[in-house]
Amino acid sequence: MQPVVQFDNVTKSYGKHVAVENLNLSIEAGKFVTLLGPSGCGKSTSLRMLGGFETPNSGHILLGGKDVTRVPPNKRNVNIVFQDYALFPHMSVAKNIAFGLELKGLDNQHIHRRVNELLELVQLQDYAKRLPAELSGGQRQRVALMRALAPDPEVLLLDEPLSALDAKLRQQMQIELKSIQEKTGKTFMFVTHDQEEALTMSDTIVVMNKGKIEQMGDPNTLYGRPGSVFVANFIGETNLLRSTVVGTEGDTTALNWNGITIKAAQGGLAPKTGDHLYVVLRPEAIHCSAEEPTSGNRIKGKVRQRVFKGNHTSLSVEVADGAMLNALVHPADVAQLNGEEIWVGWKPETTTVIPDRHAHN
Amino acid sequence: MRNMISDAPRTTLTAFYWAFLLYLLLPLTLMMAMSFKDANFVAFPIGDWTLDWYAKVMADKQFLEACLYSVMIAAASTLAATTLGTWIAMLIVAEGIKGQVIIFALACLPAVVPGMISAISLRIFISTIDMPTGTAAIILGHTVHAVPFVVVMALTRLRSMPGNLVDAARDLGADSVVAFFRITLPYLGPALVGGMIFCVLLSIDDFVRTFFLGGYRPTLPMLIFAKVQGGMSPEINAMATLVLVVTAAVGLYAEYLTRRARTR
Ligand SMILES: Nc1ncnc2c1ncn2[C@@H]1O[C@H](COP(=O)(O)OP(=O)(O)O)[C@@H](O)[C@H]1O
Ligand SMILES: [Mg+2]
Repeated sequence: MQPVVQFDNVTKSYGKHVAVENLNLSIEAGKFVTLLGPSGCGKSTSLRMLGGFETPNSGHILLGGKDVTRVPPNKRNVNIVFQDYALFPHMSVAKNIAFGLELKGLDNQHIHRRVNELLELVQLQDYAKRLPAELSGGQRQRVALMRALAPDPEVLLLDEPLSALDAKLRQQMQIELKSIQEKTGKTFMFVTHDQEEALTMSDTIVVMNKGKIEQMGDPNTLYGRPGSVFVANFIGETNLLRSTVVGTEGDTTALNWNGITIKAAQGGLAPKTGDHLYVVLRPEAIHCSAEEPTSGNRIKGKVRQRVFKGNHTSLSVEVADGAMLNALVHPADVAQLNGEEIWVGWKPETTTVIPDRHAHN
Repeated sequence: MRNMISDAPRTTLTAFYWAFLLYLLLPLTLMMAMSFKDANFVAFPIGDWTLDWYAKVMADKQFLEACLYSVMIAAASTLAATTLGTWIAMLIVAEGIKGQVIIFALACLPAVVPGMISAISLRIFISTIDMPTGTAAIILGHTVHAVPFVVVMALTRLRSMPGNLVDAARDLGADSVVAFFRITLPYLGPALVGGMIFCVLLSIDDFVRTFFLGGYRPTLPMLIFAKVQGGMSPEINAMATLVLVVTAAVGLYAEYLTRRARTR
């Protein structure tokens, strides 16, 4: 199937500063795609280029197979939900939503029907005549969303639309956004710097770093098999064990981490003895116990810190001179771990390995 | 004792305030009071009161014509100044235009050039381009004078406008003209109405420019000036009182509008 959006080797720089570098990205229709990355990595710039507000220095942007690189925003069939909503302050909710429809030249009856339909979708029928200033943050958010959806764009662009909301409302809106996307079947291109938000909503996450794509995949893959140290650190909490390969055995590798021998799945790499690798060990993959586990990797350590987090307790365990591991412990298991010395263990197949790009070996 | 000393600065301030109010209001009150005096000279005591002077003023064809003429000039110069001023303000905030500081400085110049100088230079200007004195010249002079006030008011409002409102309109299919008329102009609305009322007042009030640029048809200030030359009479007081009441009402309304715009 033809991708609905294609960035073809797109570069955008401001003066000497390169905001987006050689971006290649294809987006399938009907997907919820998230651009994720730290502030300043070029997410908004990419989105604004697709919206038509910035022109790339080089490369092409295709929308539905047509080159739109130099088409002005009003002639592109995409709509943006802005971070601060950008609702027209002098127009009622209904007028705001109708704006794009009027400019499409639809007749009044048609517009009226569509506006009501959209207001119903977010339960704002009773607010049609209000001004944006008379709405709560969450309601404004919904109006901005409906205004952008109204003209039936090929792709809906959302630039950190939830960042102005408080935590509770943000979670609620994440679910609502996802369900609206599923109901309408639209392609959503969502921008955020919040990895949790990305994991919650996306079909595909595109991790960006310094104007480039770092890794792209579904949330499961990105979380379970991060391809780089950056991704491993950016998505979720993680223990990164910098280790040296001491031998391979089938598809498991034996490694030396701070003098401790551990085993890890190779994850498609073909490591040779002496290579440096990072083992990605998620805190929830670690099992803490008072007795020595019978299989898998196991190390004896000392509990240095316990942080109660409600639904779990976070333990910092010192397993070798200065080498720490963070582990999550279920409340039911905390009681048996009151001693200072405990065992930490994990199954080799729950980890993945990342090559150490900076190593000279 | 201690109280009196520590209160001294406050008391002084309050005293100054009342003195200032008196200074501000006394002449105006006197002028208004005299307009009700039943005698044809201006002096105390007032003695008998009458509304005859107002009746006379309202029946005075010359006065009514001058009023109409002033209003017409005010309307024309306000329209021109608002259009020009808004356009210049848009230019100043627009991206990718060079010399915005210079444009701003030039646009503000007429507000600080002394009225006399501006009047004389305009007079010289129109005679070099063979433009006759009269209505068109007056409108030109008033417009130049009013533009800076519109620019400043429009600019203040434009600077407070969220940058992506226009982007949002463009995104939803508006070209730049539609975006201006449907988004930017309504947003500027309250500031522009305030600015327009200010322009009207400036124009109605203007004497120096009108004097140098005008023809034989008198505007309101010119008529009053001519009448004063013929000696003070309560009729002039009645005229001035009418002008004062109307312009004060308009000015207060403008203040109310701009205040509302600011709190929005
Ligand atoms: N109009 C601009 N002029 C100059 N530099 C810009 C402009 N817009 C963005 N940048 C720079 O480009 C980089 C990427 O910006 P942006 O796409 O907004 O990042 P993000 O949305 O990921 O936080 C940043 O370093 C930013 O400073
Ligand atoms: Mg951004």
